[in-house]
Amino acid sequence: MISTRILTKRRMVAQPGHVAAPGAGQRHTQPPKRRRRTRGFVQVASATASERLRLNAFGHAYMLVGAVLAVILVYLALAAQVTQSSYQISQLQEQQRQLVAEQDQLRYQEATLHAPAQVAQQAAQTGMQRFAPSSYVNQPEVAIDLTAPIGAPPTDSTPLWEQMVAAFMTRIGVSRDAMAATR
Amino acid sequence: MDLGLRFAVPGKAPRHVPGRWRVLALVLIAVLLAGLVWSRLVTWQVLQRGTLAAAAQQQYHELVELPAVRGVIFDRNMKQLVVNTTVYSAFVSPDQIPDSQRARVALALGQVLGADAAKVNQTLSSNAKFAYIARRFSKQKADQLKAMLLPGVGLEEEQQRAYLPGLANSSLAANLLGFVNFDGQGQYGVEGYYNKQLAGTPGYLSSYRDLANNQIVLGSQKNQNPVNGSNLVLTIDSDVQYAAEQALAAGVQRDRAESGSVLIMDPTTGGIVAWADYPSYNANAFNQTQSSAFLDNISSSVYEPGSVMKVVTLSGAIDAGKITPSQVINDPGYVYVGGYRIYDWDRRNHGNITYTYVLEHSLNVGAMKAMQAEGHASFYKYLQAFGLTKPSGVDVAGEDTVAPPSASAMQDSQYATTSFGQGIDVNMVQMLAAVNVIANGGRYAPPHVVERIGNNLNPLELQPQRQVISAQTAAQMAAMMEQVVQNGSGWSSRVHGFELDQAGKTGTSQIPVNGKYTLNVWASFVGFLPAKHPRFTMLVVVRKPNYPGSNEDWTLNDGYLTAAPIWQKIAQALVVDWRITPDPR
Repeated sequence: MISTRILTKRRMVAQPGHVAAPGAGQRHTQPPKRRRRTRGFVQVASATASERLRLNAFGHAYMLVGAVLAVILVYLALAAQVTQSSYQISQLQEQQRQLVAEQDQLRYQEATLHAPAQVAQQAAQTGMQRFAPSSYVNQPEVAIDLTAPIGAPPTDSTPLWEQMVAAFMTRIGVSRDAMAATR
Repeated sequence: MDLGLRFAVPGKAPRHVPGRWRVLALVLIAVLLAGLVWSRLVTWQVLQRGTLAAAAQQQYHELVELPAVRGVIFDRNMKQLVVNTTVYSAFVSPDQIPDSQRARVALALGQVLGADAAKVNQTLSSNAKFAYIARRFSKQKADQLKAMLLPGVGLEEEQQRAYLPGLANSSLAANLLGFVNFDGQGQYGVEGYYNKQLAGTPGYLSSYRDLANNQIVLGSQKNQNPVNGSNLVLTIDSDVQYAAEQALAAGVQRDRAESGSVLIMDPTTGGIVAWADYPSYNANAFNQTQSSAFLDNISSSVYEPGSVMKVVTLSGAIDAGKITPSQVINDPGYVYVGGYRIYDWDRRNHGNITYTYVLEHSLNVGAMKAMQAEGHASFYKYLQAFGLTKPSGVDVAGEDTVAPPSASAMQDSQYATTSFGQGIDVNMVQMLAAVNVIANGGRYAPPHVVERIGNNLNPLELQPQRQVISAQTAAQMAAMMEQVVQNGSGWSSRVHGFELDQAGKTGTSQIPVNGKYTLNVWASFVGFLPAKHPRFTMLVVVRKPNYPGSNEDWTLNDGYLTAAPIWQKIAQALVVDWRITPDPR
């Protein structure tokens, strides 16, 4: 593993004017190079890991097979789950059918209870009889003459002081329904 | 290098087989074996590919039809007249029932389903693959069977229509509604006429099944949802319908008649309020009913309307300006037409009478004179305008009509008899729609039974109503028909409280057999109330009544004694149910 501390140290070594430590060898005495772009931690780490692992051809094959196996296992697990769910759906559908059948039965019972034949039968059992009107009350004929004059308008019985107050209030805008409130 | 072998037989010199032959033999054997394998592969993979692929697919692939839910039928007050119910059928697979279990299975099936134990035993012993034990039973029985866990016994769900109970041994409005057979097809009546709209469109589900026949949702499934059928809202009032059925049954039994029918119409819309036949049948047990009972006498059979036709004849003549209700004519009791002497029903000389009197007392001579005053061409034109020469177009399956001959082909005597309702065949819907013109201010309202199909109004209801006669003529005829109830043959139809506010007309016509009229009659009564603002129009027809004493006097079978009382009873119930009050006088 290369830590950030090591990287910092390397940068310091690469800086101009830096005095190499005793015994650092020829490498440190070379003229300072142009500063390279710093590699990220992940890039450095992965490169180091691959160097250390040093997978050969069989290793790659094993990894591939393992990955495929993992995918197959996940797929099988998913398929099993889906199948299980489909069984549950089938059971629920069966349950739904049962409930619909019960609903149909209840609906028919309700319709039958409201059927005129059933109502008549129950009424007869309780001694009820169909009502037959014994007589109709005829309305007296009212002659309405649409051409007759309507007559004088009804007089306003509101006291004069109330009318004046209402007119005043309306004028000043305090209230517009003072008259209505008094009637 | 010699690759040959030396085969030595004792006593003989060894035989040398060259190496290349040995290789050739091996190659040949290998080629033969490979050829065998390849030929089989070609057979299976190429030649029989289609068959085998289909067979394999049949094992795991399943195409399930998703049935559409059939639309239900409501009356005008949204009371359900027809309900969809789930019923069950029990089947057995005898080869899957162990011998030791057979007795138990047979006993259980007998106890729960009421099946004959001996028959069930016989079925179980047959080693058949599949056999039904009972069809279309209730859910309660199915639940009982399921709980017993009987080996080799299965249940099958089916949809069935359930109709409301009516009178004894019949369902409500059976002849109007029809029924749905075991194949899901609507038969007769509304079920037959609107089968396409009610049935909807079935969908399908394409799925896969495992060895245990469980559905697997993996795979390329295709699903097409069903389109459920439309609900129908009828113009029928179920309460009035039941009252009509009750009164009709009582009347037909009292008159000792062969059958009877009642048709009630809303005058302004032409919507049918009640459609009753007696005798009828139970649509819930259609498979146990003789097919002759399914025929509906209202629209599927024709009759000669008799004196009810005088309403049409006199209306046409008044509308044409050829006669007036108060016009005086002479009625000697008979008239010669086309070489025949045609009588009034009572064969009496009535002297000088008005046309109102003609209608009150149902006199044939007066009707013939009105027709003659009007002329054949005009009379025929009014027959057409009143809708008596073509089907009414009512939306019920199986309407039957007999068109009269063309105007030029009709003889004088036929014009004469047609004027008082003999020699012309109509069905009840045609006749009621014609009389309804009077109640509807002179307009023809197309008769119909269905108000709404799904969310749409019935196109028949939206048809413009044609003006057949003027509103003034209609009012004059309504007033004449009021006089029939107040002073004439319609007295027996008087509804309490409406004695001075109802209109009607009796009709009695002899039934012809092999071209000759017999003493059997069709007795009828048509009317509406209140006379000036009608709320309903009703026609009652009683076929072949045998009224007590009619053996000596056949006129006792007349419409005023047989059909009118039925009309009165139903009208009395209707004015109470609909809260109709007479117009102020």
